[in-house]
Amino acid sequence: MLRKSLHPILILIVAAALLSSCAAPAAPQVNTVKETVMVTELVQVEKLITATPLPPTPQPGKKIITWWSHWANEPARRQVIETVIKDYETAHPDVDIIISWWDSAPLTDAVRAVMTAGQGAPDIATDVDLINMVNAGWVLDLEDSMPWENFQDGLKAGWQIQGVEGTYNFSPGIQTLMLFYNPTIFDKLGIEVPENYTFTQDEFVDVVKTCSSAGYAGVADAVGNRNYPALFPIWASMVNLVGREEQNKYDIGLQSWDTPEARQVLEWTTQLRDAGMWPSTFSTMTIDEFHVYFHTQQKACMLYVPSWYPGRAFKTEAEGGQSPDFHFKMLRYPLMNGAKFPNQLWTAGDSGYMVLSTTKYPDVAKDILAFMVQPKYGALWTALTNIPSSIKYDPVKDWPTDVEGQEIWQWYWEEIEKVYGGMERTMAAGIPCGDFVDARTGAINQGLPQGLLTIDESIEMMDAKLCE
Amino acid sequence: MAIKTIVRASKRSAPVTGQRVGRKPWGAIFIFIAPAMIYYTIFVLYPLAATFYYSLHKIAPLGGKLVTTFVGLQNFTEIFKDEIFFRAAGNTLLWGGVGPAVEMVVAIALAMLVYFHVPLHRFYRVAWFTPILVSGVIVGLVFRWIFNFDWGIVNAGLRAIGLDQFALNWLGRRDTPIWIVIFVHFWSTFGYSFVLMLAGLSAIPGELLEAAYIDGASKLQAIWSVLLPLLKPTAVTVLILSFMGKMHAFHVVWVLTNGGPIHFSETVATYVQKRAFGWNTFDLGYPSAISVVWFGLTVIGVGLISRWLKARAEG
Repeated sequence: MLRKSLHPILILIVAAALLSSCAAPAAPQVNTVKETVMVTELVQVEKLITATPLPPTPQPGKKIITWWSHWANEPARRQVIETVIKDYETAHPDVDIIISWWDSAPLTDAVRAVMTAGQGAPDIATDVDLINMVNAGWVLDLEDSMPWENFQDGLKAGWQIQGVEGTYNFSPGIQTLMLFYNPTIFDKLGIEVPENYTFTQDEFVDVVKTCSSAGYAGVADAVGNRNYPALFPIWASMVNLVGREEQNKYDIGLQSWDTPEARQVLEWTTQLRDAGMWPSTFSTMTIDEFHVYFHTQQKACMLYVPSWYPGRAFKTEAEGGQSPDFHFKMLRYPLMNGAKFPNQLWTAGDSGYMVLSTTKYPDVAKDILAFMVQPKYGALWTALTNIPSSIKYDPVKDWPTDVEGQEIWQWYWEEIEKVYGGMERTMAAGIPCGDFVDARTGAINQGLPQGLLTIDESIEMMDAKLCE
Repeated sequence: MAIKTIVRASKRSAPVTGQRVGRKPWGAIFIFIAPAMIYYTIFVLYPLAATFYYSLHKIAPLGGKLVTTFVGLQNFTEIFKDEIFFRAAGNTLLWGGVGPAVEMVVAIALAMLVYFHVPLHRFYRVAWFTPILVSGVIVGLVFRWIFNFDWGIVNAGLRAIGLDQFALNWLGRRDTPIWIVIFVHFWSTFGYSFVLMLAGLSAIPGELLEAAYIDGASKLQAIWSVLLPLLKPTAVTVLILSFMGKMHAFHVVWVLTNGGPIHFSETVATYVQKRAFGWNTFDLGYPSAISVVWFGLTVIGVGLISRWLKARAEG
């Protein structure tokens, strides 16, 4: 009887086991041919066959350089890096570079795990957890190997870690926090944008109320898979009040949040929350989804987003990108009452690269990164990704001639220039300690925007975990 | 006397082989046991011992190497000041209490239905078992959509029947996320308990039930007085397995809520993962100490459940 009753279940188990063994994706591994292997949160493996077949790697006697990079779901950035790799290999036939593309979180875990284990590390990696990695002695100093003069002025200082000699990373891109709005919705709701593109603190709350009463979220924003998107309006308004450098101290846990400026911003945040600032799916929507929420579903009036927006949005609509015909517009940050730094823009280095100390070929790995810092790649980065490059270039001489179709995004650059031209892009750097990141995430990325915590509770939560 | 005779007779009639009587074939025993023991040592004993060892140390990188410093019981004393740990422990204990109890009741009820061949019982047998075959990650993702505030099927259903006020932000509140996690994990794993219960029922000799009917017992009386008492050993196993499963459940929580918001659905397993790999520190000492404490609590919990059930059975 037992056998009879369990028979169908046993069949199911066997069938499932067979299926899973047949369908199990190969472990993320680099391929010997020029295929790009991407590792995402769901261990989704996708192979992008390049248009031109390249010789298989590794070749006997060649120096193999492994490279783990963030940006698995950003084809334009991948294209730039893959072009650099291809050019470097052409110029150095004795070197093979094998790159793996990852999503941010699993890449961070993987780099930390291999360095802790002391084996299996790549030669070059995205600069995750940089300060800890440098303090651990696991990252090589790039000070003497990079052509720093090729970077835009002032950027290098932003990559240096306070109290640590040397420079250990660089970013090919720069991120500046911006504020977009949907002009169609604004017109429909009769919201008029001031001539200086700046709403006051109170006017901004009214804009959000108007949007919310018409069924739109104030901003497209959510925290389903990132621990910072709800911080964007807080960052912007803190920069407005205390300046970028001081704001950074709050952000990395070096400054108590129990100050009049921080309280003003958090009070404003609760007003925005009550006015309907955030989507009802705020707690579960992912970063990719809230981009779509803004540009395709058009369920929100505005979007706070750093200048990496095009990485997710300026790709084909089939890949989750926006229509080139959706010409959103831009606003300056809302002017906080008593703002002392209304002309500053929150700016930081984008994800960058570092050379890990376990590399067998430190000179080659450093040389590859130095090779990337050429004006032509700065221009290529900007042309393909629509993200500002950290590398200086001549727009006439260096602009790639073989990149087509970029003129459809010309309006985007014109809008940036129109609204943010002349503003001060101020960099700041630093990585908070783990305790503080967790407290910050709970307090102001999740708690306050969702009404789960009061202002006092949020401040208490963050101040209890300030970094030493 | 009779017994002695039999023993003597059996000794006399023992087959004579090439080996001397009483000598064990140690070589063969070693060869057969060695693979399992090596596996067990490398993948169970060593990590367990390493966890205990690390729990007494701080681990920090220095000069390109990880430096391990003995700190005695410092990691353990820190646990008692850690509010997040207490929230995670509270959630896990709540889950460990509610989850197995609900799972057991439902599993017994459904196993009875299939055992007594209700209409479509073959379909139910497969349908109720199927969720166990779905990966925890997929379950988490699917239920994240199901409980989506805007378009999730739960809220859509509530709105469709005019119960808009009950359409909640299930995964973004203080009070509901942990219950959603408990429910989703229950949905995902109750098939296992159901199968074990069904196997337990199937192993009970049919004659006992027939005898009860002949003695005039109704179906309910037969269930209560014959089947359930005989099902107790299986139930104990199911309860303990279920309890242990809840105490270290990870996938569903990780994907569904990631322990959030603000640790309101945090469990010990997800907190250990965050402390070990998610925070900007390389120290495995503190998460190891949490693991050791939780290991101890789980062992105690299993012991208490076993003792309680044994006492009830004897009482």
